[in-house]
Amino acid sequence: MKELDARGLSCPLPLMHTKKAIEDAPAEILVLVDSGTAKANVVALLSDSGYTVSVESTPEEYRITAVRE
Amino acid sequence: MAKPRKIGPTAWIVGGAGLFIGAVAAWLVSQGNPGNMGLCIACFLRDTAGFFVGGTTGQAATAYIRPEIIGLILGALVAALATREFRSRGGSSPVLRFVLGFIFMVSALIFLGCTVRAWLRLGGGDLSAIWGILGIVAGVLIGVALLKRGFSLGRSKAASKPLGKALGWIVPVIAAVLLVLAIVTAVSGTPGWATLTVANGRSVIPGQVVVQTADGVTTVVKPADATIVDGAVIAADGTVLADAEKVASTKAMPGGKRAALVISLLAGLAIGVVAQRSRFCSVGGIRDAVLVRRYDLLFGIAGLVIGATIVNLILGQYSLGFTGQPVAHNDALGSFAAMTIAGLAAVMMGGCPLRQTIMGSEGDADAAIAVLGMLVGAGFAHWAGIPSSGAGLSDLAWPAMGVMAVVLAAIAFAKRSRVA
Repeated sequence: MKELDARGLSCPLPLMHTKKAIEDAPAEILVLVDSGTAKANVVALLSDSGYTVSVESTPEEYRITAVRE
Repeated sequence: MAKPRKIGPTAWIVGGAGLFIGAVAAWLVSQGNPGNMGLCIACFLRDTAGFFVGGTTGQAATAYIRPEIIGLILGALVAALATREFRSRGGSSPVLRFVLGFIFMVSALIFLGCTVRAWLRLGGGDLSAIWGILGIVAGVLIGVALLKRGFSLGRSKAASKPLGKALGWIVPVIAAVLLVLAIVTAVSGTPGWATLTVANGRSVIPGQVVVQTADGVTTVVKPADATIVDGAVIAADGTVLADAEKVASTKAMPGGKRAALVISLLAGLAIGVVAQRSRFCSVGGIRDAVLVRRYDLLFGIAGLVIGATIVNLILGQYSLGFTGQPVAHNDALGSFAAMTIAGLAAVMMGGCPLRQTIMGSEGDADAAIAVLGMLVGAGFAHWAGIPSSGAGLSDLAWPAMGVMAVVLAAIAFAKRSRVA
């Protein structure tokens, strides 16, 4: 599974890096972010790009798992 | 595989949020806020700074704790706590963020409005806002080019120690202090050390003659022993201090135009909740459309302009034209240059001043530092005489913009990525 650590990055870097990471259409990707805004942006991008997205929230971070539909 | 889509449900949510914010902002003007300034983060932070330091910075006309700011922060705080999104974090180039906030504010005061008010001015029919909006586009495009080449202020870190966790509360604590001071001022008058612009006041002769109009009746606030006779201000000894024509033609001071405290506070709370939940941003729309072909935030801007336009038309506040607009000037080049700087600074710090305020309310100490930079920048700009007036740019505007452009270029160079 492809992994991307976007924790602590300011807008729009989490979105930029996620977009780049799904350019080669991986079957599954894990994106780590730590702000609500980054989470919302990344989830929206992945959902709109044909992925089924699930988010696991811990006190430190959001683990966004996306599986290609 | 599902077909990828450009416009998802989130675009409509942000669009709806923009519509709401634009509509509320236009309505606030009918409740007493300055023209096309129902909501302006730069102006309102500036007015708030004026309350504290206005005596030193010469901000008699722009000194008032704007309850909208308090509401924004507390609304966003409650929304963030309720959704467990409040997280104390920081450590991503705080000094540079202070400088970027400072520069954003100074350039916004040259244009006369932040990246939110630029669109609200357009929504009120103020076509001179277009010069500023073109500047925002130019600034964002430069910012996008920097981001593509690897510009980053670095990662922030989640706070683990008590001190770090406490720093996440800077902005909410500021809001609480402002709320107490706003209520104290409303109940028992302005504290001796503070400055408060006279409500509905007009500065007929700056620093000397101030009049106030309430319920259609004009009275003299300063000098204390003067009176109004046939519209003119007459001193106790009978001298005419200002003739009727002069009094009638003097415009109201922006800081004195304000909705009732409770109305401003509630409107701010509602906008704070909506902005936190929707992630509305006034520079992110153009940025994301160009950079990552995402249009969610652009829908927010479209909503903002449409909401403001509709409500302004309904309330009879819409006035189409380039000149004679409230708290605005029609210096095309100056507006363009100022907002190019502001737009670039906003992209470099990761979002517009509204978003910085909201993120500061969610525990982001870096955003809090940017907000502090804006507050200090406002005080400095007024102290130095940089802000524009309705008549146009001040003499210092262009030199200040030159310096700010150089500083932005230096930050861009210092924080460029080696892999570019």
